[in-house]
Amino acid sequence: MFQDKLSVPHVSGKAMDQTLQREIKLARNIQSTLLNGQAPDFQGGKVSGTSMPARLIGGDYYDFYPLVNGKIRIVIGDVMGKGIPAAMLMILTRGAFRSAAQSTQNPGETLAAMNRALYKDLRALGSFVTLFCADWDPETFQLTYANAGHNPPLYLNGQKGVIETVPKVSGVMVGGLPDQSYEERAIVLEKNDMVFFYTDGIVEAQNDKGEQYQLERLMSTLTEYGEKGAEEIEREVMGSIRAFTEEVPQKDDITMVLLKINADQSDITSLNSPLL
Amino acid sequence: MELTIEKVEKDSSVVLYLKGILDITTTKQIDPYLEEISSRMESLTFDFSELELMDSTGIGSIMNAIHMSQEKQFQVKFQGVNELTHEVFEMVGLYKVLEALKGEAI
Repeated sequence: MFQDKLSVPHVSGKAMDQTLQREIKLARNIQSTLLNGQAPDFQGGKVSGTSMPARLIGGDYYDFYPLVNGKIRIVIGDVMGKGIPAAMLMILTRGAFRSAAQSTQNPGETLAAMNRALYKDLRALGSFVTLFCADWDPETFQLTYANAGHNPPLYLNGQKGVIETVPKVSGVMVGGLPDQSYEERAIVLEKNDMVFFYTDGIVEAQNDKGEQYQLERLMSTLTEYGEKGAEEIEREVMGSIRAFTEEVPQKDDITMVLLKINADQSDITSLNSPLL
Repeated sequence: MELTIEKVEKDSSVVLYLKGILDITTTKQIDPYLEEISSRMESLTFDFSELELMDSTGIGSIMNAIHMSQEKQFQVKFQGVNELTHEVFEMVGLYKVLEALKGEAI
């Protein structure tokens, strides 16, 4: 029911608290369901994601979108701010991604379309979203990507055991400037390689001394467990962060997406792929 | 965690010295300084040399000031940007926003 500013319902403080708690739990369930959807399967590898909000709900976002040409579009993002306001904008961002992924040919175009869709709303709200978008092609093993102000993913060369950030590609955060275009780069992955997309809540996770987990520790963990499967690596990273922070409540959401390659041949076999 | 803002005004320029933490709990402290900016003001400089930490809401506040500079016709400048803050500004594209809207990083 719509209520204007003058028609405030009369409820006691305790009833209001209970209502708020119930609604926050429902909002958490909605966000968790939308965020942790089924990842597309493809032969020869695995793509997987997980997110842990610092509060009951958060502003981090990741998603997968199987394209009709057989590629998988991956996105990870971080909405400015925290808690309920950030979560509301995260849902807005998800809608923009789903719509843009369907109507654009590549990750740079997807980010440009998302910026076009979201710019006015984000400016009106004084907010922004950082996003990294990539297309994984299981036929050619090529990962093509574009960046809207997000921290670049890490690339683990499985054969050499060397980890580094993917070659830099820059672009303005979504909501920063109107009519942006986003340059793209591409890398070719090989057997046992991994790409680790993440939000800054991982490297900035703090222990009770105020020390941060930091990029070096993350790289070390990924190198140590890089031979394992995507979901196992996720668990190891989460375990390493928990061991470091000793369960100290965190200020920022923690989100990661892994693309792990196991074999030479791959094929998308499932799921939310749009009907032809 | 606190943020202290020291304002130094000279002629038609204002410098805001930000000391401490610019995050979700403190970032609203900047708003009154932005609201005070009059049409005769030519430049607003943010000095980050004593800023210990800035989160995404802090970046949002700085970006809002840059956009406000378009409406109120003043120039936003940055000074005292340390290496870590510089990396973050570069990564999120804040310098590009500043450049596009005629600001300046010193």
